[in-house]
Amino acid sequence: MPPLSRIALQNAYILHRRAYRETSFLLDVLTRDFGRISLLAKGARRAKGGLVAKLQPFLPLELSWQGRSDLPLLTGAESSSSGFKLIGKALFCGFYINELAHNLLPPHDPHPAIFLAYECSLNALEKAEGIESTLRNFELSLLEAIGYGLLLEHESIRGKAIEADKLYRYVIERGPIEASEGSELIHGATLLGLRQKRLSGAEQLGEAKRLMRRVIHHYLSGKPLKSRQLFTSTPNP
Amino acid sequence: MQPPGQLDQLMQALRCLPGVGPKSAQRMAFHLLQRDRLGARKLADNLLAALEKIGHCERCRTLTEGRVCAICASSSRDPSQLCIVETPAEVYAVDQATGFKGLYFVLNGRLSPLDGIGPSELRLDLLENRLKSGEVKELILATNTTVEGEATAHFISTMAQQYHVRATRIAYGVPFGGELEYVDSTTLSHAFSGRKDF
Repeated sequence: MPPLSRIALQNAYILHRRAYRETSFLLDVLTRDFGRISLLAKGARRAKGGLVAKLQPFLPLELSWQGRSDLPLLTGAESSSSGFKLIGKALFCGFYINELAHNLLPPHDPHPAIFLAYECSLNALEKAEGIESTLRNFELSLLEAIGYGLLLEHESIRGKAIEADKLYRYVIERGPIEASEGSELIHGATLLGLRQKRLSGAEQLGEAKRLMRRVIHHYLSGKPLKSRQLFTSTPNP
Repeated sequence: MQPPGQLDQLMQALRCLPGVGPKSAQRMAFHLLQRDRLGARKLADNLLAALEKIGHCERCRTLTEGRVCAICASSSRDPSQLCIVETPAEVYAVDQATGFKGLYFVLNGRLSPLDGIGPSELRLDLLENRLKSGEVKELILATNTTVEGEATAHFISTMAQQYHVRATRIAYGVPFGGELEYVDSTTLSHAFSGRKDF
């Protein structure tokens, strides 16, 4: 039998909560030191003391849990602030990064860097500035953490440094190759911008978005991301 | 292994009810068979009939026997106000508590990408048609105060904007008879920032 583990006040964010039986929640949680885990919050739907209000996404929490199994029991939840106020499009983006983390991060695989990147992304989304580049940065860090980082500094075949004004074709799992014709060509400047987390201008943002979309689609094995529908069907006022 | 007998099957079937575990299922099954066979038949008939007859109202998507539910069919209700709720149970809750005299639209869910629920699953196309028709003047967003409920409210409000319909959101607040000291911080901060002139 695995040893009884007792974890106290671990920094965490709830990615998703689902009602379980009459009074409980099943939580999908991103923790700083234990990676993405599932927790059972027994009786939390009827609990006193505002537990329901605390167990919400986008709220910085300190969670305690214990148990032997794959599904430990939540034993406590503290929230230190009133949470990130994501409104409108930023909220949809929050759902998007939650869905990405849920689908791409394997459970029980600690990634403190991802936890930090997640927190930074929420912070940027709350301010609602540079939403697109925030999402790209998070996507990049997420892929890097799970070992699928993108090659952005030099060409994949000859190893030549990427030049800003040349055009490249990005081959998934290999890297960029200099190309002059074909579809989905990307400027060197976009690749460098992605690497330095400094994308500028609509053209670079658009190219980076199409590249990341293609790469993520590949690693999700074609599983569709539902939160994208929220963007495609909202009219942009 | 022997196939499960009729009695076992009945107990297993009863466990589909919320809050019914193996022990209660056993008690229910024995009670129905030993003491109340008449009641059991009535229950079975009613279940079958309800399953066959009750469907979704074609205007507001709540549960109803007819094509259109009693609220939608009533002539004393004001069609210019439309209240959006997540479940049919909430129609009753709002109706009994508030004396609201407008109409409802039931989403039967909320936008929740991680559960695979997007705009198409909520039949927002039906709602859009109603907004298009121009009879709705105010859209009251009474979705739950969860992040998903909030996202749903925002999504619908942008739709309302498109058709120039005023959208309002139910207020967050301190529960009646509650003491501030014991109210959770999220609710309190919402209640505080949403304060009104007195």
